[in-house]
Amino acid sequence: MIELYGIEEKTYTLNLGPQHPSTHGVLRVLLEMEGEFISKAEPVIGYGHRGHEHMAENRNYQQFLPNMGRVDYLHALAYNQGYCMAVEKLLGLVVPERAEFIRVITAELNRITSHLLWFGAYLLDLGAFTPIMYAFDDREHILDLLDRITGSRLTYCFYRFGGVPVDLDDEFITGTRAFIQRLRSRWVDYDNLVTKNVIFINRARDVGLITKDQCVKYGITGPNLRGSGIPYDIRKSEPYSAYPLFDFEVPIGSKGDIFDRYMVRLQEMEQSCRIIEQALDKLPNGPIMAEKVPKRIKPPVGEVYQAVETARGEFGIYIVSQGDVKPYRVKLRVPSFANLSLFPELAVDTLVADLVAILGSVDVVIPEIDR
Amino acid sequence: MLKDNLTKALAPLGLEKVADGDYAKTGYHLEVAAQPDQMAGVAQAMLDAGCFLESFTAVDLMESFDLVYHFASFDELCRTAVHVPLGKRKGMPSISQIYPGADWYEREVFDLFGIHFFGHPNLKRILLPEDADFHPLLKDFGATQGND
Repeated sequence: MIELYGIEEKTYTLNLGPQHPSTHGVLRVLLEMEGEFISKAEPVIGYGHRGHEHMAENRNYQQFLPNMGRVDYLHALAYNQGYCMAVEKLLGLVVPERAEFIRVITAELNRITSHLLWFGAYLLDLGAFTPIMYAFDDREHILDLLDRITGSRLTYCFYRFGGVPVDLDDEFITGTRAFIQRLRSRWVDYDNLVTKNVIFINRARDVGLITKDQCVKYGITGPNLRGSGIPYDIRKSEPYSAYPLFDFEVPIGSKGDIFDRYMVRLQEMEQSCRIIEQALDKLPNGPIMAEKVPKRIKPPVGEVYQAVETARGEFGIYIVSQGDVKPYRVKLRVPSFANLSLFPELAVDTLVADLVAILGSVDVVIPEIDR
Repeated sequence: MLKDNLTKALAPLGLEKVADGDYAKTGYHLEVAAQPDQMAGVAQAMLDAGCFLESFTAVDLMESFDLVYHFASFDELCRTAVHVPLGKRKGMPSISQIYPGADWYEREVFDLFGIHFFGHPNLKRILLPEDADFHPLLKDFGATQGND
C-alpha cells in the first residue's frame, strides 16, 4: 500500500493473470511493485496441467501420439516428429526419404503458422491491432493446406512410426508454391507496417536484454537464444530428418533485445520458405512408410533422448523403455519452460508496460509449460 | 573436442562411470554415473565447460529413483547424460546455485515425485495445486487417483 500523506512508500503486490489477455494462456505472474517499477516477479504456472507425462505411462506407444499435438498446439508437428523419431530410434526403424521430406515440408509450414501467430498476437499486446489481420490472413492459407493432408487445422496428429500415412498430392504442392510466392510479396507490407514503425522500434530496442551468460545458465533455446547472437539451431547443430540436404541460414541477432528476437523470427519464416521450396524441388519418389513396421510397438529395454527444433526452441523427449507396450517413463523437455524460468530475472526493474512487451517477446506457450 | 575436455574435467571427481555413449542409439555422446553428493561437482564442471542444463528429471524404479540430468552445449554437438541413483526417502543436493535454470526443474521433480532438494531457495509445488497431497509420477499412484 502506498500511504498518500505519509513519507513512507511501501511495495505492493499486483496480480497479472491468470486470465490476462497478454499472458497468452493461463499464466499468472505475481508482481511486487514499487510504483510503476517491478521489484519482483514470480510466474505461477500449472493451471493447464493435464499430466501428459503420466498419461504416457498409462497407454501404449501409438495411443500417446495424439497427445503430441496438444502440448505445444502452435507447432504440433515438431512434437509429432520428435516423438516419432525417438520411438523409431528405440525400434531401429529407418524412415523412407520421401516421408522425411514430407515431414520437413509440413513441419516448416507449421513453423511459419506459429511465427505468424506470434507476430500478430505480439503486436496486439503492444497495442497495434492491424498486424494480426495481415498475419491471420496469411496463416489461414497454411491451415487450409495442412488441413488437406493432415485432416486438422491445429492439433495435428499426422506422423506415424516409420513414416507418414498420407502422401502429398499435386494440389498441395501447387498450393504451397503459390503460398510461398504470396508470403514473400507480403514481407514488404510487414516491414512497412511494423519493422520500420518508429513506435515499435522505440518500444523494442534495448528492452528485455538476454545475455549469453543467462542463456547458458537457464538453458534458453530457440529465437530467444539466437536473438542474443548464439547460432544454435538444432536443425543445423544436431541435424535430423532431411534437414542436412537443404541450404538454409540460421538468423541471429546481436544485442538480445526484443527487436533482435522479432527480427530472428521474421527472418526464420523466410528460411522456412527456402527449405520448403528446396524440399518440393527435390521431393524423391518412393514409399512413405517403412516396411515391416510392427503392429505391436514393443521396443527393447533402453532409453533415448531426441531433440528437435520447434518454433520456440528445443523440444527434447526422453523415453525409458522396459520392453513393454507402454513407455516406462516419458519426459518432455519443453522450450517455454526454460525460457519462462528466466523471466523473473528479466522483469526486475522494468516498467509494467515493458513487462508485457518482454513477456510477449519470449513467446511462451503456456499449455506447453504446464503439460 | 568438448567430449575429451569433459572427460578430463570429470576425472578428478572419482565418478563411478564416465564412458562414451552410443549416439546413434541413445542420443548421448557421454554417459556418466554419479553419487548424489558428487552432483554439485559434476554440474560445476559442466558449467565451466560452457554446457547448459538441457533437462532434468527422475524415473521411479520402485525400490529407488534414477535422477537423469542432460547437458548439451551451444558450441559443439555433445550431449552428456548423468545418472544419479537415489534411495527412496532420501534427499538430493540442489544444483540451482550453479545452474539457476535447475530451480524450476527441481521444483517439478519435487512436485511430481516428492523428492526433496537440499539448499533449494524456493522448494514448493510448481505444476500441481499447493494443497495437493500426492505425487502423480510415482509408480504406486494409480491412473484414477487424485480425481476426487
